[in-house]
Amino acid sequence: MDRKKLEEIFHRLSHPFPALLIDRILETEPGKRIRTIKGVTANEFFLPGHFPGEPIMPGVMTLEGMIQSALLLLDELYSRGKVTAVLEKVGRLKFKKPVVPGDRVEFQVQLLSRNDPLYQFKGKALVEETAAAESDFTLKASIREVGFEL
Amino acid sequence: MMENREIQKVLPHRYPFLLVDRVIEIDPGKKAVGLKNLSGEEWFFQGHSFYPPSLLLESLAQVGGVVLGAKAREEDPNATVQGLFAGVSDFTFQRCPVRGEQIRLKMEVLQSLASIYKFSAEAFVGDEKIAGGQILLSFTRLAI
Repeated sequence: MDRKKLEEIFHRLSHPFPALLIDRILETEPGKRIRTIKGVTANEFFLPGHFPGEPIMPGVMTLEGMIQSALLLLDELYSRGKVTAVLEKVGRLKFKKPVVPGDRVEFQVQLLSRNDPLYQFKGKALVEETAAAESDFTLKASIREVGFEL
Repeated sequence: MMENREIQKVLPHRYPFLLVDRVIEIDPGKKAVGLKNLSGEEWFFQGHSFYPPSLLLESLAQVGGVVLGAKAREEDPNATVQGLFAGVSDFTFQRCPVRGEQIRLKMEVLQSLASIYKFSAEAFVGDEKIAGGQILLSFTRLAI
């Protein structure tokens, strides 16, 4: 899927985050799991401040990548309307290894359970098959009908 | 109390990723209360007006970094230290803070094991608690 299409999806989701942290979808099994990829570059706008002279991808941005992957899974469950989802809970989040420019991060996210409006996910961020981060998190979804803008 | 320029002596974070403005109470090595104003055209306000939950976690973690960094500086002003965000557990968000609000970030060390520090983390707007849980930081002194 090209980047423009991804941006359209995030627009539809109206996800409250200014940075798109996914470059491509590698594979998706609707309603179950998704694999996406993000190539980390020295030109990320947030790296000059994290940290000057020592660029390290902020851990919360890795979490954000997992959340955005989960949102793509969520989008497929709804064919109509605009889906808005916010982070409701982080049950567990572990950062195991710093992610730096040049790394390609693969996000693997799995939908564990669905209890409307709460969706529980399990996510992993891998760099060359080694886990850089792992998380269990819950999103709370709400739907806005098309043609109605707040 | 620590103003922003003093915070910048303890934390390596800079624009656009310094997410705590002032520390209003601090007991080095134990606890601190930080402030973050949500204002105007900050970069995360593109297309909406609330503070993303993932960045709220980062703001809290940075206050934790001040708690541990201030203690290390007290003991040895020339110490070289490394703090890293190690994880989060049982953290729930009641609501997202919005533009114009001031977030109070409360961090208190619960326990430490080797280089891992477990904090109780809470965020407030006024008297309303908007999020809370536990945050883990790894903090080590580097040998020179």
